[in-house]
Amino acid sequence: MNDTAPISLLLVDDEASLREPLAEYLTRQGFAVQEAESAAVARSHLRTEKPDLVLLDIMMPGEDGLSLCRHLIETRALPVILLTARGEPTDRIVGLEIGADDYVTKPFEPRELVARIRSVLRRAGRASSEPDADAPYGFEGWRLDPLKRRLTDPEGVLVSISTAEFRLLRAFLDHPRQVLDRDQLLDMVQGREAHLFDRAVDNQVSRLRRKIEADSRNPELILTVRGGGYRFAAQVTRPVGGRD
Amino acid sequence: MRLWPKSLLGQVLLAATVAVLVAQSVSVVLLYRAAESRRDAAMLNVAALQLVRQAEQPDRSQLATAERRDRRDRLRRQTAGPRLPRPLRIEWVDNPARLSGDRRDPAREAELQQLLLAQGVPVSEVLVLERRIGDDPFIAGRPRLRERVASEGLQQREMLVAAVRRDGAGEWAVSRVPEPVAPTGVMRTILFQTIVIFLVLVSSLFFLLRRITRPLAVLTERTERFAATRQASEPLAAQGPDDIQRLIAAHNAMEARIAALIDEKDVMLGAIGHDLKTPLAALRVRIESVEDERERAKMAAGIEDITRSLDDILSLARVGKATGPAEPTDLTALVASVVEEFEDRGKPVHMIDAPRIVRPVHVTWLRRALRNLISNAVRYGDKASVSLTETEGRAILRVDDIGPGIPADRIADMLEPFTRGEASRNRATGGAGLGLTLARAIAEQHGGELVLTNLPERGLRAEIRLPSS
Repeated sequence: MNDTAPISLLLVDDEASLREPLAEYLTRQGFAVQEAESAAVARSHLRTEKPDLVLLDIMMPGEDGLSLCRHLIETRALPVILLTARGEPTDRIVGLEIGADDYVTKPFEPRELVARIRSVLRRAGRASSEPDADAPYGFEGWRLDPLKRRLTDPEGVLVSISTAEFRLLRAFLDHPRQVLDRDQLLDMVQGREAHLFDRAVDNQVSRLRRKIEADSRNPELILTVRGGGYRFAAQVTRPVGGRD
Repeated sequence: MRLWPKSLLGQVLLAATVAVLVAQSVSVVLLYRAAESRRDAAMLNVAALQLVRQAEQPDRSQLATAERRDRRDRLRRQTAGPRLPRPLRIEWVDNPARLSGDRRDPAREAELQQLLLAQGVPVSEVLVLERRIGDDPFIAGRPRLRERVASEGLQQREMLVAAVRRDGAGEWAVSRVPEPVAPTGVMRTILFQTIVIFLVLVSSLFFLLRRITRPLAVLTERTERFAATRQASEPLAAQGPDDIQRLIAAHNAMEARIAALIDEKDVMLGAIGHDLKTPLAALRVRIESVEDERERAKMAAGIEDITRSLDDILSLARVGKATGPAEPTDLTALVASVVEEFEDRGKPVHMIDAPRIVRPVHVTWLRRALRNLISNAVRYGDKASVSLTETEGRAILRVDDIGPGIPADRIADMLEPFTRGEASRNRATGGAGLGLTLARAIAEQHGGELVLTNLPERGLRAEIRLPSS
């Protein structure tokens, strides 16, 4: 993508009542939006066009969104955001596991959708340099599964972390043993969905420490560096134990 | 009472046993009484016979021993009851001795007189009494007889003493008939009979009842499982007697009906969820074009309320269903992350330092329950302080507020669906009133409970208590 041409989106949803206002809204936000009311129409459209990203409703009569999503990812390598009325976490995982880049539950905040579109596109632009962006990270026996956003401790116990903490931890794991100052961290974490990360970095770091450090007052994993910054001290391995 | 069995089988078998024992005891008493009166009559008859024969044939030695035995055997066969008693030799006395322990029996005296008269032996005086064998002077005066009595241990036994004086005779003829040894054979027969009746009755009852109780047990287990899981399985095979088979068939029909209703409900709720969320999403997109920012925020909040209620309703419908295995989870981190969500939105929620507690839970569900409790505390109780403790192996997630609490008699109502505290606050605060119901359902899904209590000073305490793992 570049800054001159508008980002092109293909919006696939059988419900005209949602599709039309959403297309209008996204157009107002500066996207070039094409609409398709079924998977079949979407397929014929994709024969001639290559949008930057596809917004795909899961529940559609005829071929459903998951099937089309699988096709898009396998053959066209297009970024996909799924739209769904169901909110079960298992549904979300199924959607992400077949390769969708993100998953939005109806009703969603339109601004959040826009933020996610941009975030997915930013990641897609980088993806070529990262062979397997979804491979789990390992450090000191801990394991972080980026796909399911699950953090487990050395005993396999699930440790709940927020979205912001997940992103912060991932930033550290992507840059182990490097000193990262607050601005860098804010960039890496906040850039994607600004509204989800409006607390100070220090606050997020201390929350994360409470969850992963044996003693959060004497941290051994996330160290504070004099002069304003943090450093992740442990060795990071990827992938650990492969994908599950 | 400990001895009273709880099961149908036990109760019926116990009742049958008691009934057999009572009936047999009654018949033992009756048989014993009949045997006693027959024995008394036999003793009197023996005495009468001896006295008659004495009258007819003063020299009894003329009757051959063999013949006497033959007669006796015949008699014994005829009576077929207890062994016929053998009398002692007739004693002739001027005056029959009367001892202090003797018991005269006027009824038998009259009877004896009648018997003798019928045999053509009229007597002028008659005396019938019972005496202890050991006290009898006739026996005491004969060493051999006394020895035999002593060796057989008969001193304490009773003996019938019948004395008569014939018309015009000067001497009394005294006949002595010792009481025959108690007929133990009868008792043995009754005991044997009791055992046979008992075994036949109890074993047939046992097999009959097993035919009833076995299918009942299967049915009970099935009903319990269905109640717990709400999952229908293959219909239960009908077995046992007709009544039980009909019960099983009725249960199968009911289970199928309930399962169909549950399925229908799930499908319906799924459809409602889908059909309402799509237009809500459309509405949410459309309000972005509203110019007035305050107006738009209000509309967005309204849609969010509807969405939350809808999610609560859908979750409540799904909470009982199995959602994969629970996984070991750091509850402290879980509570912290929920509290942080509220902190990030600027809500007055804080967490009290907690030890690390690990339990197998369904994370998404428990998170939802806790979120409901905290948002209730913030909404109705001004602020929430959240803590996590472990008592007697149970993990307790506690949310305290500083609000007015709930009147004690309303606490149970608050856990029912679509109930909210003060009616006047409903419209202002929104929500479908499902938060606590859902939290309780989730606590129960984890085998725990939701407990609401008013704090002594002010405020409400809501606790999710999870059982030890």
